[in-house]
Amino acid sequence: MGYTINTKRLILIIAVLAVALLQASSASPSSSELEAASSLGVVYADGRPPEDVPLYELEKGNEALFISTYDVARMFRATKFWSPGSRKLVLRIDGVRYLFTIDTRVVMVGDEPALMHIPVRYRDGQVMIPLEFISDILSSRLREGIELDWKRLLLTIGSPQYNVNDISFEDDESGSKAVITMTDELLYHVDSDTPGLLRIKIYGGKLNPLKFTINETHGLFNRVRAEQTESDSYLFFDVRRTVRRFKVTMEPVSPESGSLEENRVSSSNASSAVTSSSAEGEGQSESGSKGLRRLVIFLEKGTLPEIPEADFAGRKMVEITEGTGGLRNREIKRVVIDPGHGGIDKCKVSPSGIMEKDVNLAVAFMLADRLHSELGVDVVLTRKTDVLIPLEKRAEMANEAGADLFISIHCNGWFHPEAGGFETFFLAPPRTKDEERLARDENASIKYENPLMKGNDLDEVDFILWDMVQNEYINESSDFAELVQRELSARLEIRNRGVKQAGLKVLKGLKMPAVLVEMAFLSNPEEEKLLMNDNFRENVVEGIVEAIRKFQNRYAASR
Amino acid sequence: MADGGIGRRIVIVLVILAVAIAAFFIYVEKWGGRRKPPPTIEKVPGETRSVTFFFAGKEADRLITESREIPVQGGLEEQVRSVVDEFLKGPEKGEAVSAVPPETKLIQAFWVEAKQTAYLDFNQALVSNHPGGSTAEYYTITTILKTIKANFPQVRFVQFLVEGYPVETIAGHYAVDKPIELDRWR
Repeated sequence: MGYTINTKRLILIIAVLAVALLQASSASPSSSELEAASSLGVVYADGRPPEDVPLYELEKGNEALFISTYDVARMFRATKFWSPGSRKLVLRIDGVRYLFTIDTRVVMVGDEPALMHIPVRYRDGQVMIPLEFISDILSSRLREGIELDWKRLLLTIGSPQYNVNDISFEDDESGSKAVITMTDELLYHVDSDTPGLLRIKIYGGKLNPLKFTINETHGLFNRVRAEQTESDSYLFFDVRRTVRRFKVTMEPVSPESGSLEENRVSSSNASSAVTSSSAEGEGQSESGSKGLRRLVIFLEKGTLPEIPEADFAGRKMVEITEGTGGLRNREIKRVVIDPGHGGIDKCKVSPSGIMEKDVNLAVAFMLADRLHSELGVDVVLTRKTDVLIPLEKRAEMANEAGADLFISIHCNGWFHPEAGGFETFFLAPPRTKDEERLARDENASIKYENPLMKGNDLDEVDFILWDMVQNEYINESSDFAELVQRELSARLEIRNRGVKQAGLKVLKGLKMPAVLVEMAFLSNPEEEKLLMNDNFRENVVEGIVEAIRKFQNRYAASR
Repeated sequence: MADGGIGRRIVIVLVILAVAIAAFFIYVEKWGGRRKPPPTIEKVPGETRSVTFFFAGKEADRLITESREIPVQGGLEEQVRSVVDEFLKGPEKGEAVSAVPPETKLIQAFWVEAKQTAYLDFNQALVSNHPGGSTAEYYTITTILKTIKANFPQVRFVQFLVEGYPVETIAGHYAVDKPIELDRWR
């Protein structure tokens, strides 16, 4: 009997002990665990995405903010050396050595000591330094400039290279204008499909969305919003509902109308600024407007009253078109269709063995038939059989045929089955107009100086010129790409991945508007089935035919 | 006596069991789910560097970055090598995927300072294991170039090589036969 009581007691004691141990163990980490007091927004100019870095308050009753050296090292691409024995940590940033000792306020910068207001601490396996190190000690010793906004806790490392810089508004009798200044000649696309909204996509644009977020009304503009993606900028203009017509134009900033700098000059000495720039003479005026452009969005003041909400839906704004509108006076008489890949370049093979080159060729044949029968245009195929034609050769064939349009047909692919959708590409110009002019001049002088230049040197020159040929047609190419994407999205039920600008080799050197269509992903099992389905192919072909029809009408309207 | 022996044994077994259960819970609490980033790298002595890698989203619609601590040794060439080697191991985060064909290895990397150009010499897998498609090819090139750009500001151009020679394209869409200027690639 005695034993059983003892056993019961023992079990009870053990149970109590176990519970106590458990509680102690769960209580201890939470007491030592670091909790971020706030966070530092970090914006990089080198293409890294912005991030939020945790900041800590380590001292009771002291609001000083600390940052982990783990984060500092990443932010500034530092190398880090930690010697636990001596409790010292070295950060090497831009070739300068910073030595920290735990629980001291001294930072050795090279051989020079610098003093902070609060000491470095060691918490939770990390060396923590006061944020003042970045603003007071590091900033003046960095190669790239940094800016720390203490109020908003925002750190900018390097100077982000924006090419869409500013927005201003003008208002007069005829209507309202939004003027956007840019430092590059960029392509844009205007979408007015949604009533009351103008959406402008700027290809290759880089802007600060905060600067283009405007919540106050300016004339007929209600509000402006901006979005920046990895490659492009988007501007959204919410406009007054009385607006019936609009116009968007890109114009160079001429010295007469004042460059960016001159605009900032106050009215009292504006005249002197103009004189000084015109005094520099004609030769300077061209370089003076170095890539500076103004994108002007004009909203015409209508005489109509505000439309009631009920009648408003479906009433789109109309674009004001004048004269040729920059479009060439040319008909689409001959189209080159380029079935991608071929021969030994089978490129993608789907999981079940379907080859991209075969799908491309089959769709190209269908498209050729439809174009001929429905639009009566001449069609040239870059390949009619399963052969490999080099990419340059395809462009040469199209140029020799004197075609008015080039369409390359492809299927997309990805490393995993998840990706899907269709997209349309046009060529990204390799350089801006000014660089292009410089390159041309350089080429001319090289040829002039070396009339006997041969072999590789000549290839290099041809390569540069070849790269620039498509630049002349880039506006029409982007227009056509938008039309194709829109017509496809009306017919296909897979993801619309949008129009993209990229340095695709097959589109280089073409002397005509040119696009590349990626119909769907062969690597996606669902879309693979679609690509083998006649109905889907028929829809793709119909979409492209319709896009060409609309493109042609646009030319006709401009004549 | 025999009775008492059994009682003692039961007690001992129970004690061991209770200690084991408690130890297990302590272990789970401390080292299991509670472990959180940032990693406690400062506990590792020696010279390290935090590097940024670019990977892609599963649906091929965005870039995703990831940072990792790697040991630092040697000059630029060796550092480029170790960064690319680490990059080729792929992402650790769940939502990111590698946009480089499987089995791709860097054979060598060299740096020509006069040309500000880093030459990256890969094995044949870069081309032969590529799934194809302009999107996959774009992300293959972009994730490599952006990783170099984010970690080596002194590198302005990258030249791709496959087993010692330049190739026209990796999967038939983008020219990589000449050095690519990092600032201009998009």
